[in-house]
Amino acid sequence: MRFSRKLLLWTIIIMALAFGFSGFYFVNYVFETAITRETGQAMEESSILQFAFQTAALNVPVKYDVLSDQAIEQITDNLAGGGGGRRIQVLDEQGQGIYTGDGFPDDKALFSQTDSAHNAYEILCQEERYYIRTCTIVDVLNRTLYLETMRDVTEVFRERQLGFTVYRRVTLLMLMVGSALMHGVSSWLTRPIRLLTRATRRMAEGEYAYRARKVSEDELGQLTLDFNRMAGALEENVGKLEEEVKSREEFVAAFAHELKTPLTAIIGYADMLRSHRLDEEKLCLSANYIYTEGKRLEAMSFRLLDIMVTKRSEIQVQMVEASLFFQYLSHMYQTNRTMYFQFFYDPGKVRAEPNLMKSVLMNLIDNACKASEPGSLIQVIGRAEESGYRFLVKDQGMGIPEGEQEKIMKAFYMVDKSRSRSRNGAGLGLALCSEILTIHGSHLEIESQVGKGTTMSFLLPWEGQGVVHCKGGKRNKAARSEDRE
Amino acid sequence: MIRILIVDDEKPICDLIDLNLSAAGYQCMAVQDGIQALSLIESRSFDLILLDVMLPGVNGYDIMEYIRPLGIPVIFITAKYAVKDRVKGLRLGADDYLVKPFDVVELVARVEAVLRRYHKTDNILSVEDVVVDVDGRRVTRAGRLVELTNKEFGLLVLFIRNKNVALFRETLYEQVWEGEYTGDSRTLDLHVQRLRKKLGWEHRLAAVYKVGYRLEVPE
Repeated sequence: MRFSRKLLLWTIIIMALAFGFSGFYFVNYVFETAITRETGQAMEESSILQFAFQTAALNVPVKYDVLSDQAIEQITDNLAGGGGGRRIQVLDEQGQGIYTGDGFPDDKALFSQTDSAHNAYEILCQEERYYIRTCTIVDVLNRTLYLETMRDVTEVFRERQLGFTVYRRVTLLMLMVGSALMHGVSSWLTRPIRLLTRATRRMAEGEYAYRARKVSEDELGQLTLDFNRMAGALEENVGKLEEEVKSREEFVAAFAHELKTPLTAIIGYADMLRSHRLDEEKLCLSANYIYTEGKRLEAMSFRLLDIMVTKRSEIQVQMVEASLFFQYLSHMYQTNRTMYFQFFYDPGKVRAEPNLMKSVLMNLIDNACKASEPGSLIQVIGRAEESGYRFLVKDQGMGIPEGEQEKIMKAFYMVDKSRSRSRNGAGLGLALCSEILTIHGSHLEIESQVGKGTTMSFLLPWEGQGVVHCKGGKRNKAARSEDRE
Repeated sequence: MIRILIVDDEKPICDLIDLNLSAAGYQCMAVQDGIQALSLIESRSFDLILLDVMLPGVNGYDIMEYIRPLGIPVIFITAKYAVKDRVKGLRLGADDYLVKPFDVVELVARVEAVLRRYHKTDNILSVEDVVVDVDGRRVTRAGRLVELTNKEFGLLVLFIRNKNVALFRETLYEQVWEGEYTGDSRTLDLHVQRLRKKLGWEHRLAAVYKVGYRLEVPE
């Protein structure tokens, strides 16, 4: 059952009970009052009659101070005749009727209750009419008589009945109007719940961007706000997960692609070598392709291995003169005639693993070369800053579009895939740089404008900050440096 | 002479296809870049284009859009093996789809299949006095009809299409029997034996030690 219906139903039940009880109580109260009043009047009338009877009896000429039954009858008749046909009955000491009025029931209950101290009355019903029957004692001369009256109070009862009827109608009407109003009120009150429910359903169906509308300022409104906040967090997480899954899929797809091209060549040429009788030239060509493509596969697998190993390895950082890197790089690239290199640097010492750092810088420079036209300027700058030593590699190449900058550090990602591969890139360089910088407590910063060039930079913090891994014993370090040399 | 254009950004792959298709008697041209490919298609006529999808300059699907109205058959050669990529290529109007890494024999067979569909290939193959009508499935030797079973016929066509090429047992088996080679080569040997007998090719169909067979035809 819906909540608003429940609310409505219970309101109706409570309203009906309240109206019922209060109505009953009210009508009954009015009735009680009226009946008390009527009883009072009946008793008063009875007293008046008693008095009148006594007066009349004294005025009757009597013998021996004895009041005869006839005289009583006459007096009673007079009393009954006056004042619009009263109903009177006179009984003698034994309860035998001396003057019997119409409609008096023949029972002695009232008679036996009456004594000289107080008068008795009862309410009785005859043929759907209600009467108050009173009984009082009249002491006159030698007789003790019981004077009974009956007063018609049907009207009072009828009014009570009418009261109930009217009240019932009013109650029903009120209930109907009230129900209609409550229906509106309850559905208005439960609107936020309905909206929330709809939002929940929509979200369950996968529409994570859907939000519930806030329509009230109460606790439900608060709940809506909280729900929306939760939905926001959920959407964000789902988005992240999807992004993650997508990037993993992309990685696998890219990896497969990168693997297949050299494999196709190797398999194809090897097949030719074994199936065809080739002449010297073709033989040489085929063998050479197998060799170079094999080398390419090897380079790629080492790069991948580098990334994986770097991800989980511990490195030995040491204080290195920044000039060391620049001397090494300018020596490395002085033979490169296709690009124009410039090296500037501030003196300073950085905490780094020298070989890894060289690898990062070389990767960045290679990337800059790949992005630039032959003959353009590539600047490599070392700058001592307040918080650390910053390396910058600037090129004037094609630049990286805004949306791609986040992704370029992912493995196999290439801004211009075909172009990059034609220059022998596998899309792994920046992924490797990013890993190395992470374990140095730094990260790659990219500034780029399409068509104008790119600046890649990273900041190595000064001593005491940021180095994440620097575990491992001295012997390990020695072994490692031997390995590298 | 059938002219084939090869568009692939990898020089080694271009050369590989070029070498093999040239050996099979086609005239090949290879370019490594989409824009060059477009200008070549515009200036010359080709009977078949082998197209890579990821290309510098213009992407293979875009080139396909350009080629379609020209009615030149196209085979996509790409490392993208996902069903949706293949469907996309075929929807665009490609005649076939070859996924890297591919077998050279398969490449040649597919090229031939596509050309046959376009009636561009010679359907009459001949080696000296043996003439094979591929569509009519008729083989004559010196004008006299030779009865061959289905498999024998398939073997013969494969041998003639790959003259002087050592065909490996597994290749022959996969191409003719269209199933996985299980290592049991007796069936194959029997068929080759019968083929030799029926055509009088005892010396032509030479067994290559530990490899398979080769149809030797003096060039």
